[in-house]
Amino acid sequence: MMAHIPVNIVMIEDDEGHARLIEKNIRRAGISNPIRHFTDGTSALNFLYEDPNGPAQNGPALILLDLNLPDMSGTDILGRIKADGNPLKRTPVVVLTTTDDKVEIQRCYDLGCNVYITKPVNYESFAEAIRQLGLFLSVIQLPEIKGD
Amino acid sequence: MPEVKPPKMLDTSPESSAASPDAPARATTLSQRNFGYKVLALVALGFLAVLAAGISAGLLVGRVQTDTGWVEHTFQVQQQVQSLALDLQNLRTSRALNRLRHQNALNSPEAADYANTYRNIHTKLDSLARLTRDNPRQAERLAAFHIWLQRYVAVSAPGTFIGPADPVPQVNNHLFEQLQVLTVGLFGEEQHLLSLRIANERASIAIFWKVLTAAGILLVIVAIGSVTVIRRYTVDLAGSRDELQKLNAGLEDMVRDRTADLQRANDEIQRFAYIVSHDLRSPLVNVLGFTSELSSALKPLDALIERAEAEAPQIVEESARLAVREDLPEAIGFIRTSTQKMDRLINAILRLSREGSRTVAPERIDMNALVDGVIGAIKHRIDEEGITVRVASNLPPIISDRLAIEQVFSNLVENAVKYLKKGRPGEIDIRGRALGAQIIYEIQDNGRGIDPRDHARVFDLFRRSGVQDQPGEGIGLANVRALVYRLGGLIDVRSALDQGATFILTLPAVFTGEKEQAK
Repeated sequence: MMAHIPVNIVMIEDDEGHARLIEKNIRRAGISNPIRHFTDGTSALNFLYEDPNGPAQNGPALILLDLNLPDMSGTDILGRIKADGNPLKRTPVVVLTTTDDKVEIQRCYDLGCNVYITKPVNYESFAEAIRQLGLFLSVIQLPEIKGD
Repeated sequence: MPEVKPPKMLDTSPESSAASPDAPARATTLSQRNFGYKVLALVALGFLAVLAAGISAGLLVGRVQTDTGWVEHTFQVQQQVQSLALDLQNLRTSRALNRLRHQNALNSPEAADYANTYRNIHTKLDSLARLTRDNPRQAERLAAFHIWLQRYVAVSAPGTFIGPADPVPQVNNHLFEQLQVLTVGLFGEEQHLLSLRIANERASIAIFWKVLTAAGILLVIVAIGSVTVIRRYTVDLAGSRDELQKLNAGLEDMVRDRTADLQRANDEIQRFAYIVSHDLRSPLVNVLGFTSELSSALKPLDALIERAEAEAPQIVEESARLAVREDLPEAIGFIRTSTQKMDRLINAILRLSREGSRTVAPERIDMNALVDGVIGAIKHRIDEEGITVRVASNLPPIISDRLAIEQVFSNLVENAVKYLKKGRPGEIDIRGRALGAQIIYEIQDNGRGIDPRDHARVFDLFRRSGVQDQPGEGIGLANVRALVYRLGGLIDVRSALDQGATFILTLPAVFTGEKEQAK
């Protein structure tokens, strides 16, 4: 089903190691969609809205978002993506972060995040979670982006 | 941790500056008190003087009364003497009349008059003798009067020299004159005494007035002194009351400020602990993740070495074999255990920081049920080790946070089970008692005990004591202490090496800390 509409996975994660581990495990789950990785919020937002290959201009996407970013808070990005009237409003956002603070989790869901996953320190669980996410990505239906 | 210090320093500085002006103020009140004592002593002295004046005035009144008594006495004597002189005159008159009219007959009315007058004279002489018993000169005169009277009567009584001729008128007259002289002497003596006594009386009265005046002046001085002292005291008292009120108000403000500062510092520590533990976890995920990658990458290598050994042993170098089979797994193992330990420590900090910010939900807790639950949860271990657990049947109930209390007891009982003395059957005693608004619970064991030097240390995070033969990170007691503080209580330990340990929990019977927290 992803064959005719290639879904871009946009990963916003400041830690290169985490990004690499996430990517490895997604690949291990058999997902071959292109993954675009950004380590800061500004360039990620730039890609999402301005880039010709970005989701706003070009097709559906799935966003993996870390909350602790050097230049802005992940919740700010989430808030902007999910704001009313935004072209990316229906784009699924998976928050993948180390914080398991209740208040933070509530806030993310209030802002409209679709899935909230805490990065487990235990690597086996972490790898398992990412692989499950990969499987999840392979079956979910994504909405089409308007304006193209 | 360094974040904590600056507010603390700020905290202490106003306290020290507030304490320094306090010292001279205390000194002045001390000297004031000294002065007050002095004035009080003076006033007391004044009162004593007034009392003395009063007593002497009283004594003087007595003396004046005595003097007046003497003056009266003298008057009485003088009156008697005058009356005596009159009687003497009467005696003479009645004799003369009797001689003229009846030739000195014995039975004439004048003779009767004479006899009467003579008796009167005698009565008066007796009374005068009584009155002047204390004065020998008067007594002498009276005795002489008596003799002269006898002589006079001997020549002038009715019945003597009957007839117109009077043979001894000169004698008679002479005798009479003698008697008159004596009377005048008696009177004169009394007159002299009278003037003396009146002078005495006047002197006493004068002294009395002087003393009275002095007493009056003293009284006025003492009254003024007393009023001054009372006024001063009242003013002082009012002053210190005002000062106290001011200080009290200042103190409340100070306490409020301190509490706010502490609250801020506490919040800061919690945020800090949270951020630290949080941000430390991030690299840890990498370390653990890539270690895992390494270890999974090792599997194909291991398989390769195995195949090479089987198919072409000559290409397998000893160093390569050792690296894959021993060095790499060992290194990976160390990295993994260390990072896992670090993760546990970070989690402990995180848990403590969360414990501090968790809302306490006080409820009435049946402590016996709670302790039974705690013991039930580790019953298998207790049975395994053959430990005797004795729980007092009357643990006082408490109104506090159930979860926190449960964690505290669970930690303490687990510790007691964990740190037994080898070769000694374990015994655990749990008891409690109410002490005013506090409830004290004690958890006593007969285990290996804690060296008194480590008593404060065992409650610190990541610190342990004694032989390290049991698993643990040194988190339990730190957590217990944080919880107990959160509940507004205290925890202490009484123990010596090999003597067992007693943990003493002092908790408020009713949790009220939340209100203060809200402030």
